[in-house]
Amino acid sequence: MKGTKLKVTKSVEKTIVNFLEKGLDKKCFDIVLIPLKVPAGDSFAWVLVQDKSLLADANPLPPVMTVQGAKALSSVARKGKMSKRIAVVMRPCEIRAVIELSKSNQIDLENILLISIDCPGALPLKNYIENPKESENKFNEILRSAQNDKGTQNDIQWGNESTRPICQVCDKFTGTDIGACQSDLHIGILGVKDGNISLIPNSKKGEDILNEMSFPVEKLSNNWENKVKELVKVRKEKREKLQEELKPQIVGLDNLLETFSTCINCQNCQNVCPVCYCRQCYFESEKMKLTSDDYLMRAESKGGLVFPPDALLFHIGRMTHMSLSCIGCGACEDACPMSIKVAQIFSFVGDKSQEVFNYTPGKSIEDALPLKVFEEDEFHTVET
Amino acid sequence: MEKEFTPKIVGFCCNWCTYAAADLAGTSKLKMPSSLAVIRVMCSSRIDPTLILRAFLRGADGVLLAGCHPGDCHYEKGNYYARRRFVLLKSVVETLGLDSERLQLSWIGASEGPRFQQVVTKFTEKIKKMGPNPMLEKISL
Ligand code: SF4
Ligand code: SF4
Ligand code: FES
Repeated sequence: MKGTKLKVTKSVEKTIVNFLEKGLDKKCFDIVLIPLKVPAGDSFAWVLVQDKSLLADANPLPPVMTVQGAKALSSVARKGKMSKRIAVVMRPCEIRAVIELSKSNQIDLENILLISIDCPGALPLKNYIENPKESENKFNEILRSAQNDKGTQNDIQWGNESTRPICQVCDKFTGTDIGACQSDLHIGILGVKDGNISLIPNSKKGEDILNEMSFPVEKLSNNWENKVKELVKVRKEKREKLQEELKPQIVGLDNLLETFSTCINCQNCQNVCPVCYCRQCYFESEKMKLTSDDYLMRAESKGGLVFPPDALLFHIGRMTHMSLSCIGCGACEDACPMSIKVAQIFSFVGDKSQEVFNYTPGKSIEDALPLKVFEEDEFHTVET
Repeated sequence: MEKEFTPKIVGFCCNWCTYAAADLAGTSKLKMPSSLAVIRVMCSSRIDPTLILRAFLRGADGVLLAGCHPGDCHYEKGNYYARRRFVLLKSVVETLGLDSERLQLSWIGASEGPRFQQVVTKFTEKIKKMGPNPMLEKISL
């Protein structure tokens, strides 16, 4: 792997922020989209930062995912090419969602520099809100464990049981091909025992930026790659295990109905999902509002009818729309007021349908969305 | 005596082929079960998987999506896209452990009255063996 080593000063976060300041100074980009601590001090918001002094409050790796980054970026960049060069710093799952959105013309990537960072996981939003200070300490401990790593097992706390369940089984927490994440520049912070982090260019844009900033691109030691691959392997096993445990809970009509029986149909999960991009959702449209006679008839034939109706139709319908692009970011589960395992269920179903189409969302801008293309001679097994 | 189970099948039929075939089967007086409720659509690609799901979750014993043979779509490519969407729908339904066998995709050309008769008869027989869709009874569906 080739890249640039950056000496860590103070902390990994500060080092990354310094790098961004330098990029702004050298006019390699004009503006930065990055999470900043909100004035109340107990949450994070995405901010388009033009004024460098604001970067003092920036945190490229906040302990929680408040708004999924791709959602923030698409509100900036969905109406076409940006007139300024913008650098965006995100978790790999956010970048993967950005790539998916660019394929449906919801983000124009032309003047955007995507920077991903190895992700230690995020804490459940609910836990964080209850006690921000304690959560931050907890998260710091997890994040810093990468730096204290002596190579013995359990040194690395990344994705430990304090992080969201979906993060604990995420096997794409990193950039480059290894994480199936097509950022322009990836920042590797795992496996760096010598007090450095690595800037790994992953596209022509990424290479150009390092050149413009006069960083030497040299061969990196294998530490990062080895550590990352080791953790990917562990996570893959964990993911399989979690899905095996999930199956008996959700598979089959009765299990499925029970799982979603607490759903209040608030549709938060859909609203926060970065890859659910339709401007008018079918499930919010008039098409879902039927006459009272329709409901009365159903109640009569079944003996009763639950309201609000059609919760399962909403969930399975959503899966048939977006599960090929589900990048398992966990935003839906964080947003669910009823603590339904939405992200675990959706990413389980997503994994399966992605397998059928041999498609990995976010991996490459070159891989067309499976529902936008076809081959004449394929999938004959579904024809009767 | 128990009443014999007559399946209720929703059939989304493309106007240009399958619907014409259904017409032909009718005017040729071909005998077939009366289980299929035909909904005429302009192309198989008009049918979003959600519409099939909606019929299925509401308790249809079977749902048939039928259009022109590949290569014959009136809009050239519609049925190729329809097939991919159907593959995704099947995969999701199967992963969730629901009866994906109740969902069927068939290509029936305009002149294929006998094929229409055969598809409807066979699908009806299959559903008869499976019994009624249990979703019909569920108060949360
Ligand atoms: S369904 Fe949930 S986990 Fe999947 S992309 Fe949407 S918000 Fe993220
Ligand atoms: S956020 Fe939770 S309660 Fe709301 S619709 Fe989604 S699954 Fe149901
Ligand atoms: S017009 Fe018949 S399938 Fe497209």
